[in-house]
Amino acid sequence: MNQPELVVQLQQGDESAFRKLVDEWQDMVYNTAVGIVQNPDDADDITQEVFVQVFQSIHSFKGDSKFSTWLYRITVSKALDHEKKKNRKKRFAFVQGLFGGKEEEQLHPVEFDHPGVLAERKERAAALFQALKQLAPNQRIAFTLHKLEGQSYQEIAEIMNTTLFAVESLMGRAKTNLKKILNDYYRESFDDK
Amino acid sequence: MNKQQQIDKMTDEALNSLDGADRATARPYLFTRLKARMERQDESAWENVGRFIARPAVVVAGLCVIIALNVLAITSNNSTASNTSVAEQSATQDEFSPSIASLYDTENNEQ
Repeated sequence: MNQPELVVQLQQGDESAFRKLVDEWQDMVYNTAVGIVQNPDDADDITQEVFVQVFQSIHSFKGDSKFSTWLYRITVSKALDHEKKKNRKKRFAFVQGLFGGKEEEQLHPVEFDHPGVLAERKERAAALFQALKQLAPNQRIAFTLHKLEGQSYQEIAEIMNTTLFAVESLMGRAKTNLKKILNDYYRESFDDK
Repeated sequence: MNKQQQIDKMTDEALNSLDGADRATARPYLFTRLKARMERQDESAWENVGRFIARPAVVVAGLCVIIALNVLAITSNNSTASNTSVAEQSATQDEFSPSIASLYDTENNEQ
């Protein structure tokens, strides 16, 4: 079944088409989400939210862009919303901590281990993911879509609803900032030895 | 290799560590969990409405609206009462005054 056909069937409320859609795109949605939020439980939650949103708003999909582009957009926006909510909770937990609450473990998140990264690169990848957290959201999204999902700059521009030039600029800044953060991180770990 | 060269090497390795990474796969039975979630959402739609109404902010806002409407009604009554003309007042007095013969009294007198 091709994509336009699948979309038409979804718009008619066909459950088997929805199942097919979930089977086909779940890993793409999950991988994108886990790259952004760096937490498997949250990514699982976001994946479900994305497909619920797709089911509810499939009628608004006019086919102006590729279906995958539309799906990436929903995933990125849900992941960013999730992060915002989590940051609000963290701030609240911090305030609670000041008044004697026991929320400290949430303030120090564990290192993220992406399951798809080659074993010999895990340590470096963990450092990279830590550094990614310090980037501005747009830089982080562009970098994640390019590195984890293999999206071209042109595709990223369509997903982020911006120009190719803007994505090139975002990627340039992301790499420069990451290089600086990682350089400082490894220098500190050298000095500690 | 000096310290800075080592740091640069590690940095480059970190930057390229995601090259060739496989996609992380979603947890099993996603569709089943998804369906259960959607059914739960349908059931809890009314609960959400109830929860929204019971929010302190909504309750306080509702009370404020009711109080404002009451104040508005009282002040508008006062102003209309003071504006009532003398003619209207006397017409009302005439209507309810026991000294003026009503239609009923007229009919009784005729019999």
